[in-house]
Amino acid sequence: MSTQDIETQTPSPDGEGAAVGAEDIAPKGAMKGAIEKTGDYVDERSGLVTGHKWFLFRNVPGETSWFQTLGFTAMALFGLQAITGIVLAMYYKPDPNTAFQSIQFITNDATWGSLVRGMHRWGASAMIVVVFLHMARVFFWGAYKYPRELTWVTGVILMFMTMFMGLTGYLLVWDQKAYWATVVAVNITASAPVLGPFVADILRAGPEFGPNTLSRFYAIHMLVIPGGIATFIALHLLLITKLGIAEPPWAKRRFRAAREEEAERERMRARTPAGREPVPASPSFEPPQSWPSKDVS
Amino acid sequence: MNKGEQEAYKRDYALAKAQGKPFFPYAVYKDLVVATFAIGFVIFLAIWAPIPVGEPVNPATTDFVPRPEWYFFFLFELLKIFKNENALTPVIMATFIVPNVLMVLLLITPFIDRGPERRIWRRPIALTSGVMVIFFLGYLTHLGAESPGAETGIELENLTPEAEAGLELYLANGCTACHAIKDVGAPGPGPNLTNEGEKGRTIQWQIDHLIDPRSTTPGSTMPAYPNFTDQEYQELAVFLNGLGTEFR
Repeated sequence: MSTQDIETQTPSPDGEGAAVGAEDIAPKGAMKGAIEKTGDYVDERSGLVTGHKWFLFRNVPGETSWFQTLGFTAMALFGLQAITGIVLAMYYKPDPNTAFQSIQFITNDATWGSLVRGMHRWGASAMIVVVFLHMARVFFWGAYKYPRELTWVTGVILMFMTMFMGLTGYLLVWDQKAYWATVVAVNITASAPVLGPFVADILRAGPEFGPNTLSRFYAIHMLVIPGGIATFIALHLLLITKLGIAEPPWAKRRFRAAREEEAERERMRARTPAGREPVPASPSFEPPQSWPSKDVS
Repeated sequence: MNKGEQEAYKRDYALAKAQGKPFFPYAVYKDLVVATFAIGFVIFLAIWAPIPVGEPVNPATTDFVPRPEWYFFFLFELLKIFKNENALTPVIMATFIVPNVLMVLLLITPFIDRGPERRIWRRPIALTSGVMVIFFLGYLTHLGAESPGAETGIELENLTPEAEAGLELYLANGCTACHAIKDVGAPGPGPNLTNEGEKGRTIQWQIDHLIDPRSTTPGSTMPAYPNFTDQEYQELAVFLNGLGTEFR
């Protein structure tokens, strides 16, 4: 079988048979060929495959830390909240007369209902904890500095929305503690100047806590904020992939680079200008203690 | 950071990336390990500590302790610190000014701290403010976690039968969750009522305040109690209006 024969069996879409590597022109299984063709078809029209490869195999600084996994963990927990939330929404009834019974049904009767509800409730707390840890990491690393200022702003907005998720979700169980805590929370909102009373009226769906309040909280909890969070996660991720994740401020590479810069400056100082004596090193200059000096050339 | 420092950072970061590792699998593997652990922990908690079903909502009975989720405890505690007892600590500080100032500060952090230094041990202001914020949030959350229990009795002298009934209503309706009389009950968010009678209010003012707190005290965060009978309102109002004067 000559190369020519193989090419007629599996013609490459762009006809550049000569440039393809040896394994690419070997005969393929029908399945593998079909997958590759589908991939090429999609990539030609969307760039998704190339984009994905760029996303996965782009370089990140070599010394990324375990602390830098918290952002992904927060996103994973949001995914968990979305999934358990969808399952709960299949059984939950946002109506003052039946909400409490539906919670009872989910907890006591529905298959694995107690587990899903427990995961949603504990997942909310876990998400708050992880979001706070993530923010503390970024703060203490100075990772919000140039050029990542806007990444920080979108992240803070995500944190506010996460907390508002907790506030609106708390009322949905429709028990005494949640009800009265939310009454007080909305009263607190109403006490704010200028906009407070209006915002409180919007939250309560009127001047008093009533049947519409529950469905309003349900809609905000289910549709408004998740939409907002998803949008801002997309923005946050776009900025992160565009700018790259920060290097730990104590990266060994950074210290090495600093030492090299200092050595270079040292060489410049010792350089002999034409026809002159070398400039003597300043007697007051002391290399900083924090730089290990063994590598200075 | 000035233009030169920005350029230096970009150049240095490009070097870090060039000498770095591919996102997949090095970073992805770490992400997946931690995220799997976190989700596993949530599942463990859901099985180990199932969420119970509470008491059904009943807007008519008010024997409740309004408790938010734990991550709002710090705001709840702020309310106890600022409880409108004098002009310097208005409730609006806790409900509006302090939280909003903190929110704005958090949002504009990158535009305040623009220095090129990223190592935290060389950033004393950031280190101090960060540690202090964490300490106070933790401290306030810890305070908020100490739930005020239901109180059973307050020792008061010279109670008339009408005020005695008012005291019973006061105890039975969860007023101690937000108010204190003679060190019995929570120190906030509501004002201390030990000397309520000395404020020179009328019985009718007390009744109006119970029915709709904001009609007499604009900006109050107290829930309305519109479901007592006329007699119960009278008993509560007599009890409250005599505190510190007739009943000590």
